[in-house]
Amino acid sequence: MTTTPAKITTRDVTVYYGDAQALHGIDMDIQANQVTALIGPSGCGKSTFLRCINRMNDVIEDCRVGGSISIDGQDIYDGSIDVVELRARVGMVFQKPNPFPKSIYENVAYGPRIHGLAENKSELDHMVETSLRRAGLWQEVSDRLHTSGSGLSGGQQQRLCIARTIAVNPNVVLMDEPCSALDPIATAVIEELIEELRADYTIVIVTHSMQQAARVSQRTAYFHLGNLVEQGDTDSIFTNPANKQTEAYISGKIG
Amino acid sequence: MTDVTTPEQLAKAKRAANLAKRYRSERRFRAFGMAAVLTAMGILGFLMTSIVYSSIPAFTHHHLTLDVVVDESRVELMVDDNNQTSVDGNWLGLVRASLRAHFPEVTSRRDKRKLYGLLSIGAGDGLAQMVNDTPSLIGQTVQIDVPLSDDVDLLIKGLIDRTLPEQDRLISDLELSWLDKLTADGLVHRAFAWALFNNGDSREAEMAGLKGAFVGSLLTIFVTLLVSFPLGVLAAIYLQEMAPKNRLTALIEVNTNNLAAVPSIVFGLLGLAVFISFFQMPRSAPLVGGLVLALMTLPTIIIATRASLASVPPSIRQAAMALGASRIQVIMHHVLPLAMPGILTGTIIGLAQAAGETAPLLMIGMMAFIVDTPTDVTAKATVLPAQIYMWANNPERAFVARTSAGIVVLLSFLLTINALAIILRKRFEKRW
Repeated sequence: MTTTPAKITTRDVTVYYGDAQALHGIDMDIQANQVTALIGPSGCGKSTFLRCINRMNDVIEDCRVGGSISIDGQDIYDGSIDVVELRARVGMVFQKPNPFPKSIYENVAYGPRIHGLAENKSELDHMVETSLRRAGLWQEVSDRLHTSGSGLSGGQQQRLCIARTIAVNPNVVLMDEPCSALDPIATAVIEELIEELRADYTIVIVTHSMQQAARVSQRTAYFHLGNLVEQGDTDSIFTNPANKQTEAYISGKIG
Repeated sequence: MTDVTTPEQLAKAKRAANLAKRYRSERRFRAFGMAAVLTAMGILGFLMTSIVYSSIPAFTHHHLTLDVVVDESRVELMVDDNNQTSVDGNWLGLVRASLRAHFPEVTSRRDKRKLYGLLSIGAGDGLAQMVNDTPSLIGQTVQIDVPLSDDVDLLIKGLIDRTLPEQDRLISDLELSWLDKLTADGLVHRAFAWALFNNGDSREAEMAGLKGAFVGSLLTIFVTLLVSFPLGVLAAIYLQEMAPKNRLTALIEVNTNNLAAVPSIVFGLLGLAVFISFFQMPRSAPLVGGLVLALMTLPTIIIATRASLASVPPSIRQAAMALGASRIQVIMHHVLPLAMPGILTGTIIGLAQAAGETAPLLMIGMMAFIVDTPTDVTAKATVLPAQIYMWANNPERAFVARTSAGIVVLLSFLLTINALAIILRKRFEKRW
């Protein structure tokens, strides 16, 4: 299984918010082109862990991150790492769809524009179209690219956010409960999309839905009170968890 | 059946009684609220009506139509170095002579002076303008409307009671008889008081205008805007988005709020000490006035800008940051455009406040009798509220209406600024 080196390696990751410790020494190996699901009850630290991977915790006052996180063997908390460049490589989709209050086109074009990815207008147009196609949104919005992104439905907005993220051409996509604000049909569409995106991206997804974790992921990690309790192949975690706590959570006894 | 003590019935009865009480208190509250709104609107309405009503006389003035002989012997055509012609002359004398022609019976020095008193001191100004524009009028007779004096004007408007006994009246019986003759001849008529808008200040009510003060106000506000808007917005962006949260920034925040509550006269004292005494800037100048008002407006702009920056949803910042936008890009591309309507509103409110301010300008000499319209920010100038105050202090009757007219102009000025703010706001809100 682990013959190829892991895409993301974390060793003894600890996070403090002020004096409160949110994560206790997380060791994880996240494989490329797989979907890794982080599950666990609220406040268990899975979102905190996710936000360590693209250093979004940096902006939180008195948040301290310890240990090491490497992507492709490179420590992302190293002083030589440019956080702007890191976030271009590690995209993020949030819990609530948060399109910019701009047009659909501008939403997707923003990333390529600030990173100077497109040489000219037609190249940018092409990037926007490709990204929207990959997010499965092109069919629905191609005739109204220049209308406001906030006029879309919740599910469409979330796919717009995914399109916006992949337009920057990252190789890791972090998703923080991307379907928690969506209805089951929109959720199914996003899950299908995640499955398709797996071919090109390393995806880490935080979810509160056991079924979703089981459906979309290949690897699952169970967090509890800031500890990584168990990690392994999704199939084995869900059918034969090694840990009592994991079993209780998965079977719905706690959480 | 008479037994109503089951718990459900008891609860129902209590709920019913309580519900009625709740509705009563709701109605009471609504009535109080409406009463408060009506009282406020009533007071405002009364104030506005009384100001507008008392300003009405100032917008018109009575003129006398005279045939003036532009006597060659009493004017002088001059050509200066640039080949520009100008005509100099005793214009008032010419106009007065023409008036006297209507009353050949007036011969004594005293009566003549009284007769001339019917006309405004500025009665010759129109003639001077006319002949300077067309020097060929020299030697001819021109028909011209000249302003009557303010007291005569008030009498015709009925603001001076002509039925009062002569010793209690500003206009004597003799003057009245002259005026009645002129009126009977159809020479007196009412016209729009252009002087109110075209002239600078004057000791003569009928010649006094708001132009100088208006331009002074514009120049002052322009300086204020130029200084306080960029300074305030940049300071607010730094404090809100970039500054580390520590004791120093907390202290700055508290003191910004304190500064907004400092009496405005203190800013005037500061301006006097710093800009005029230390930096040797000119007195009574819109430059100094604008700087002082900018200091006064800064806290307002900083507080409004910080509030509207803080109200931009964090999800937008996170979205931009997660795409790899740098801090400045997050601010410039997303936060600032979304905060702009709020920033503009705060700025305009601050400017409107500044435009209506008098106390700080008192200290730097902008409360002064200045006739000329300022041409640049270093020229001597006064501002609208100062002009209003000075007119209100003037004992002459005709200044009462002029004061109200000044207030009407100031209010219109402020309303225009506010309307502009609303339009700008709408513009920016649409450009998401």
